Amino acid sequence: MQDLHLIGSLPGWMIAAAGLAALALLILQFVNLKRRLKLGQSIFLTLLRACVYSVLVFFLLGPALIDKRVTKLRRPLTVLIDSSQSMAFPATNKPGSDGKSGPSRFDLVRAKLTEGQDAAIQKLSRDYDLRLFRFGASLEPIAATGLAQLKAQDQGSRLLEILESVSKDAAAQTGIVLFTDGITNGERKSLEHSPALRVPVFAIGAGESESFADVRIAELRAPEFAFRGREFKLDVIVQASAFKGKTVPLNFYRGKNLITSKMVAVDADPFEQKVTLSFTPKELGTHSFSVEIPAQAGEQIAQNNQKEFKVDAQRDKIRVLTLSGSPAWNYRFLRMAIKQDPLIELVSFVFLRTPTDTVDVPEHRLSLIPFPIDDLFNEELKNFDVVVFDDFSHRSYFNPVYLDRVRDFVRDGGALAMFGGPRAFDAGGFAESSLREVLPVEIDGKGTFQNTATVRPALTPAGKAHPLTRLLPDPKSNEEAWSKLPALNGYNAVRAARGEVLLTTGSDGAGAPLLAVGRFGKGRTLALLSDDAWRWNFISVGNKETPQHHLKLIRQSVRWLAQEPSFEQVQLRAIPTVKPGEKTAIKLRVLKDDFLPTRQASVQLRVFGPEGEPTLLAATSEQEEGEYSADFTPTREGTHRVEAEASMGGKVLGKDKTSFGVAFAYGETDDGRPRPDLLKKIAEASKGEFIPLSQWNDKTLERIAAKLETIAPSEIVEQRQTKLWNNLWPFGIILGLLSVEWWMRRKWGLI
Amino acid sequence: MRRRKFLRVIANSALAVSAVPSLAFANHPTDKRHLQFVFAQLKYRGGDWNPHPLSVTPLMEELMARTSVEAATVRHEATLQDKDLFNYPFLYIAGKYEFEPFSQDEVEVLRRFVSYGGFLLADDALGQQGYGFDKSLRRELQRVLPGSEFKKLPVGHAAMRSYYLVPRVGGVRIVSPQLEGITLGTSTPVIYCHNDLSGAWERDQLGKWSNQCTPGGETQRRDAFHTGVNLILYAMTENYKEDLIHVPFIRKRMTR
Repeated sequence: MQDLHLIGSLPGWMIAAAGLAALALLILQFVNLKRRLKLGQSIFLTLLRACVYSVLVFFLLGPALIDKRVTKLRRPLTVLIDSSQSMAFPATNKPGSDGKSGPSRFDLVRAKLTEGQDAAIQKLSRDYDLRLFRFGASLEPIAATGLAQLKAQDQGSRLLEILESVSKDAAAQTGIVLFTDGITNGERKSLEHSPALRVPVFAIGAGESESFADVRIAELRAPEFAFRGREFKLDVIVQASAFKGKTVPLNFYRGKNLITSKMVAVDADPFEQKVTLSFTPKELGTHSFSVEIPAQAGEQIAQNNQKEFKVDAQRDKIRVLTLSGSPAWNYRFLRMAIKQDPLIELVSFVFLRTPTDTVDVPEHRLSLIPFPIDDLFNEELKNFDVVVFDDFSHRSYFNPVYLDRVRDFVRDGGALAMFGGPRAFDAGGFAESSLREVLPVEIDGKGTFQNTATVRPALTPAGKAHPLTRLLPDPKSNEEAWSKLPALNGYNAVRAARGEVLLTTGSDGAGAPLLAVGRFGKGRTLALLSDDAWRWNFISVGNKETPQHHLKLIRQSVRWLAQEPSFEQVQLRAIPTVKPGEKTAIKLRVLKDDFLPTRQASVQLRVFGPEGEPTLLAATSEQEEGEYSADFTPTREGTHRVEAEASMGGKVLGKDKTSFGVAFAYGETDDGRPRPDLLKKIAEASKGEFIPLSQWNDKTLERIAAKLETIAPSEIVEQRQTKLWNNLWPFGIILGLLSVEWWMRRKWGLI
Repeated sequence: MRRRKFLRVIANSALAVSAVPSLAFANHPTDKRHLQFVFAQLKYRGGDWNPHPLSVTPLMEELMARTSVEAATVRHEATLQDKDLFNYPFLYIAGKYEFEPFSQDEVEVLRRFVSYGGFLLADDALGQQGYGFDKSLRRELQRVLPGSEFKKLPVGHAAMRSYYLVPRVGGVRIVSPQLEGITLGTSTPVIYCHNDLSGAWERDQLGKWSNQCTPGGETQRRDAFHTGVNLILYAMTENYKEDLIHVPFIRKRMTR
């Protein structure tokens, strides 16, 4: 369709002046003509001239015919839908029709987009070149028809990173419509230091923040390790909103056993309170704990009511109890060795007096303390790690039934060392006691204490490899060090060794056992069949050698007995935290009883998931001797426990256990409160608009369309001009009119 | 808290080591004694290293009668050049008069001896501070442990409560009611008595006391024996009596 338009380029006043001038000429002409012609003839000729002038003035206005052609465009529009886990939280705290929690944020978003006769998603698809994505930790295109199957299950929402990435290609889109609750837990948490958003973002906020009802464990500050027998504390930050006036219990569990429960009174809105809890670990190793607030009625999110953590209970000190039959140099130098080690705590009882010894003063002039038999063996024994019978016989002091307690103590994981002398082993009457089965040497009551022999310690093959007798790291230097140690003057002859013999009284390991180690139940045992080991210290000093070998032997013995991890035969390596679905290698080292690494062991691993579900794995030997590994791919988040057991020839070499965490790096469900403030900032910074989801309707869609129209119109108009003065017609008309006028003038005798 | 309770239980216990029925001890090996303790006396050049030659046996007999220590009744005489010196971690040095300085090697040996677990008991038989034996001993110990000096031991020192709760130091004469000692770290490996302890321990061939103890008489002699026993047990158990488990009990007895 063509329209007439005046597109003249002369100013209006000039055209008006020309018009006035033409009018003045016409009036003048009319007056002159009237004097010479009749009135009708004068008017006729003046009208003819008026037509000429009108045509001239008209063409001065620039008349043109314009042909307009309008082309409709489908502009690109990006729609982002948050499908992270937080979108699965209820949109409001109002219960649904079934009395349970109402629809989720994601359900509402889906409903707003897909429900109705002319659904919003259809409108958008029709009006725009729609690019539909779901996002969480990553971005993924989806089809509009796929919205029905989409679930909010992404482990995190990297909202700001994804927005930044999408808005980079500003030329390819007119705007972004973002459906989200505003929770972002990627690396970027705020708009500060973020690049400017070059595309308007229409942020549609899902979820109500004002009425958001939740109780959560916001933060947990617990130590990574604690000392056995010592209380450790943890701080729990409890936050609540829309729960003012209620009281909630905070339960503290070890595994599945409730340790304690504290009531938290919510007296403000929003509410935050630090609660301090404590626990005293009694056992070594890694313990799994959790704190939990049971899900409360009306609470929108229950996933953030629990937090798990692990504490590695370590020894603060190895506690050693020594019972010495009498004051002796062996005790003196044993004490010196132990006292120099800050990690060992010593409690000793030295029997300064026998029942046959008499004194010449009243009892109160003696410093002797009573021997607390009952308390020591019935109550306190469990608090020690190692018990040492140092040339000590129970026979003069207490009933052998107390030795049953020592046997039980070792069987349950404690340790017993017996040092020789005239009161030890067979000479001490232990062949008739319950310790007979505990000791790593066989005693039958016939063994004797020999104090006339000269005894030189000789390393056995096991002793050359065992960490207990490793005085120097280099094997050759170690053997040499042992060969230089002074001879001893006495030893306890026993029938045979039951455990591993590390030292003998003869060269090349051919003599009688001098140092033997073994196991009983969960515990370890050691027999040093001499009371003369102090000579390895002090005679060495006299020989200008180091006394350190004796001190080291004592300290290493104590640590091995106490099952210090460095002396374990099965050692699981630490496993880093992994994500669900990520394969991890569980590695361990296995040593034989002689502490040499072995490829021959059978290693079984059990991995227990967060709910205790076991997975059995067989570890395979690695290239390096003694190293084993097995791959495991966790599927669930939570603490996983690993137990390893290695055996060889039907004999268990050892066990170890550890645990590791499986978790995504996001804290998607930690704080489910919608974040409209962030969405408003995004909208403001991008010159878009924030619209609560509850206000989303057809008018909103129209408002968005209008705003997009101002940024990028949806029509393209093409124009073609036909300038009317730019051809012969205007001149023809003027010439015609002027010719008629000339002919009439001639006819009427004016020319 | 548990430990406190434990200590309280110990303190309140009626069962003492000494109260254990002796019947159970019938199997204790007495036929073949294993010598845990040998009293070694240092011989030196000059002066008089042996002012009381018969003093050791009475003390050893007393030691074995009162305590569980099995000891040699005869002393071992040693010099600082002896290769087997370090077989005897308890070393006794006594005298009346000035003696010759130790050689440098001897000084080194004695330094290693007291620094690595040995115990030296010095006994002034003259009892004159600044003269004779006292003068030489102080001079030599300055060479052995330069920078260290003798200090009076407090009444509560572990050596004074290692077996007996000794209220005063005995001897032939009371030159000083307190012992002196050189302390290294938490241990006192050198202890010095001015009261002629061994003079009080000595009996003659007929079994009579060789020296009168003045002014305290037999009580003073008994104190000398108690001091001797305590010092031997201190050498063998170090500061064992200062362990936490013993402290409240001993404190209670000392306040009676």
